[in-house]
Amino acid sequence: MADERKTADVPLDAKRFAALADAYGGALHRWPAAEQAAAILFAGTDEGRAVLRRADSLDTMLDRHRVEAPSPTLYGAIVSGAVTAVRQERRRRFWWLGFGLAGVGLAGAVAGLALVTVVNPDIQSDHYVMDANATSFGDAGPDQAEEDL
Amino acid sequence: MGADTDEELVRRIGAGDPAAVQAMVARKLPRILALATRMLGDAAEAEDVAQETFVRIWRHASGWRQGHARFDTWVHRVALNLCYDRLRRRREWTTDELPEVADEAPLPDALPGDEERRVSQALQRIAPRQREAIVLVYYQELSNIEAASAMQVSVDALESLLARGRRSLQAMLIGDDGDD
Repeated sequence: MADERKTADVPLDAKRFAALADAYGGALHRWPAAEQAAAILFAGTDEGRAVLRRADSLDTMLDRHRVEAPSPTLYGAIVSGAVTAVRQERRRRFWWLGFGLAGVGLAGAVAGLALVTVVNPDIQSDHYVMDANATSFGDAGPDQAEEDL
Repeated sequence: MGADTDEELVRRIGAGDPAAVQAMVARKLPRILALATRMLGDAAEAEDVAQETFVRIWRHASGWRQGHARFDTWVHRVALNLCYDRLRRRREWTTDELPEVADEAPLPDALPGDEERRVSQALQRIAPRQREAIVLVYYQELSNIEAASAMQVSVDALESLLARGRRSLQAMLIGDDGDD
């Protein structure tokens, strides 16, 4: 931004001083901080004083515009509305946090299931073992006695 | 950017501290009301804007995190947006583009004690963006960087708006355009 380009080390010329007065008025405290030191120096010159005098005349007019202080009624209405608003907002955030955590949990479960499916795909069923008629001895082979016959 | 003096207050409001709420209203209400009154030229509408601005403050307090802007700058941006909503609703303009050209005809000389109304009229007659710049820098005493941030323009653009606005005001209130 322009303000960053200008530093107090750079002296102000009359043109820049007048441009600043045009924009910010005659009170140097409103001028860009980076140019105030140089502006104070220039303000001590005849040319600087003339520029500021001119800007001051508009400032004096602008200062006549005053705004009344807020009424106690307005103040009270805003304060009383705050309690409800803050409470509602905190409740809303609490519920969103709950939904968020539930969502994270659900996502974790789905991801876990997907991981198990990928890492440990379906094993072919062993029909022999799973046969309802089979026993733990079902694969023991033919009976020795029958073999001997 | 220095420490944001509002940050602690905002944190306490977010935690539900009623004293912090009162302190925030005492600190910001006069500034917001002054800003809205000068932008809108209507005391009743300015009060509505002030109330709406605080509703937004309460809503964001528990989740406020300082980003690039200070809290005060953010508050100004919120209040200004609400002012622009109202200015547009007045249907003073047929498009979304707000006028950049001010009516610079000199205002009638003021009767004694009437200068304030004259200045108010002059402020309402300059282009809204110029008025915004002058209100922020001159009346709200924001630094040029804060004002430019609130207006979302560069500092150069801010200075241009300020200079054009002041020239228009000069022409209306003092009777010349500021050029020697």
